Amino acid sequence: MRLYEFQAKGLFKSYGISVPRSILVDSPGAAVDAFSGLKHPVALKSQVLAGGRGKAGGIAVVNGPEEVRREAGRIFGLTIGGEKPSSLLVEEAFPHDREMYLSVTLDRGERAFVAIATAAGGIDVESASGKVVKKLPLGGINIEFAGDFAALLGLEGGTAGEFASVFLSLERLAREKDCELAEINPLAVGKDGSLVALDAKMILDDNALFRHPEFSKLHPEDEFEGEASRQGFAFVRLAGDIAVVGNGAGLVLSTLDLVGDQGGSPACFLDLGGGAQRDRIEAALRLVNRLPGVKKILINIYGGITRTTDVAVGIKTVLAEGPVKPVYARVSGAEESEARRLLEATPVRLFKSAPEAVRAVVEGI
Amino acid sequence: MILPGAGDPIIVQNITGRYGRLHAKLMLEYGTVVAAGATPGKGGQSVEGVPVFDTVAEAAERTGSVASVMFVPAEHALAAGEEALAAGVKTLVVITEHIPIRDTLRLLELAHAKGASIVGPNCPGVIVPSRGLKMGIMPAPSFAPGVVALFSRSGTLMYEIAGQLSGAGLGQSVAVGIGGDPVTGTTTSECLDFVEAMDETKAVVVVGEIGGDAEERLARHISKGRLTKPVVAYIAGRHAPKEKKLGHAGAIIYGNYGTAESKITALREAGARVATTPMEVPGLVRYALEGGSQ
Repeated sequence: MRLYEFQAKGLFKSYGISVPRSILVDSPGAAVDAFSGLKHPVALKSQVLAGGRGKAGGIAVVNGPEEVRREAGRIFGLTIGGEKPSSLLVEEAFPHDREMYLSVTLDRGERAFVAIATAAGGIDVESASGKVVKKLPLGGINIEFAGDFAALLGLEGGTAGEFASVFLSLERLAREKDCELAEINPLAVGKDGSLVALDAKMILDDNALFRHPEFSKLHPEDEFEGEASRQGFAFVRLAGDIAVVGNGAGLVLSTLDLVGDQGGSPACFLDLGGGAQRDRIEAALRLVNRLPGVKKILINIYGGITRTTDVAVGIKTVLAEGPVKPVYARVSGAEESEARRLLEATPVRLFKSAPEAVRAVVEGI
Repeated sequence: MILPGAGDPIIVQNITGRYGRLHAKLMLEYGTVVAAGATPGKGGQSVEGVPVFDTVAEAAERTGSVASVMFVPAEHALAAGEEALAAGVKTLVVITEHIPIRDTLRLLELAHAKGASIVGPNCPGVIVPSRGLKMGIMPAPSFAPGVVALFSRSGTLMYEIAGQLSGAGLGQSVAVGIGGDPVTGTTTSECLDFVEAMDETKAVVVVGEIGGDAEERLARHISKGRLTKPVVAYIAGRHAPKEKKLGHAGAIIYGNYGTAESKITALREAGARVATTPMEVPGLVRYALEGGSQ
């Protein structure tokens, strides 16, 4: 789960990492009020989870109340990566000489958390030269470790000390809050050598949320995502018109590929998860049937220990409740012929292999 | 990777839970010697005729078992894994999904220190059809004894491809569910070293997916000449959107890191044959076995 900038900055502050003074607002009028209580100029920063908000015009630096009202109105009207900003962070500017980058993140290949930093530049760390990466011990780091890292970056004097202290705090935050990523980009170096986090990005490990009840309801969920998560489905909305439902993440992923290869466009990814009992099939079918944009439903079940008759009965139950978009199904596994017989008198199109089912659903035959 | 031999006893942790109970039964039916179960507070009970002990240490001591399959909920997985490793378990199969990454990393660190191997987490387990060994949840009818080693990050896709292979008369020497998490116990290079040394394996099938760089690492491993057996791969997620977790915690593309294209290119350059659909896998394996050069 990704946090909004203001949430991440709140955590930074409580861990002793300096951030600029700011006020969170939910309207252009409130932005003007906030502006009057802060040092000028200020930055108006749209609070969205999608990346690339700067390029999308979601940030403006403003210096007068009229400008604040106009720019805030404009930003509230934006859609950034499909998201409408629900709030704006009105933040004091921090005059600085240069910008650094610092993050604590999982390195999957190394099977460890690592720290990544650059002493100069920021924004595009992928291509940054002078990038320093260091593997972190699972149990945490001490001041010597942080100091060595600052030295590796070539930092000296007061800035080195400041950096080591920010690094210590960020590592502790990432570890204690189970972050997959805690990133400061940019970390600004002020004229006096002080360090301030101008932006904050945090991605929490969804699987560790049971340890952090304080994060459990941070974001208003999409109605469908909420329903899917209550049912225990892995669910992602996509832009097309074919709902793709299956049992097993890899199987559904591979079904998306088959649909894409045939020129079709999936409306969602829905993994029923293990077992795929009758009630789960029913819940999934009801969910995708009312999902906006769905014109056809593709079900791909590889029944290992799933009884295909359970799947068939589940589909029949939902069909009996009311109109259902055309269903194309490939159901393979135990009791297959019995499942086929159960669905015989229904409008469900049943196929022996996934490619056949996919071809039919894409061509709409 | 260390795997039990035919007839070696294994332990099932949380055998008294719904899944533990069901799969203990299915493992027994397959011919696997489930010698003991372990669930704290349930010692003295029996499940499918298998005695249950309070601790893994007791289960291991009574049965001489050094292998365990875990069906423990994610919140308790770290403690249960630590318990198993402390009790001398050398092969720990972790079926559990949704374990926090830092817990998995701790478990891997401990396993490394103890010289044990971990399969998973978030995986269907391991099956060796010729040994009647099934430590996991995979459906037995999809698998048959044979010469193809199968490694997969996905469960159902592993069953689907095993079923296709078995249907084409291409049984499996071993099949390992690597797991769908960002970090897993069995590394691809470990798997390949294992099958390189396994005489009965004549070809290797790798089922990968978007996210991470396991497939790229595997390609480098092949390029270094450390695997002389032919490799057929299938990578799911060519049409996957970026920055979205697709079912598996590990199936996510960030920028250009973890794309299917990158994996397919790396594997092709290393000489592996890459199937476009799961259905193409048996044909490519047969061609490789019949001596089509890599």
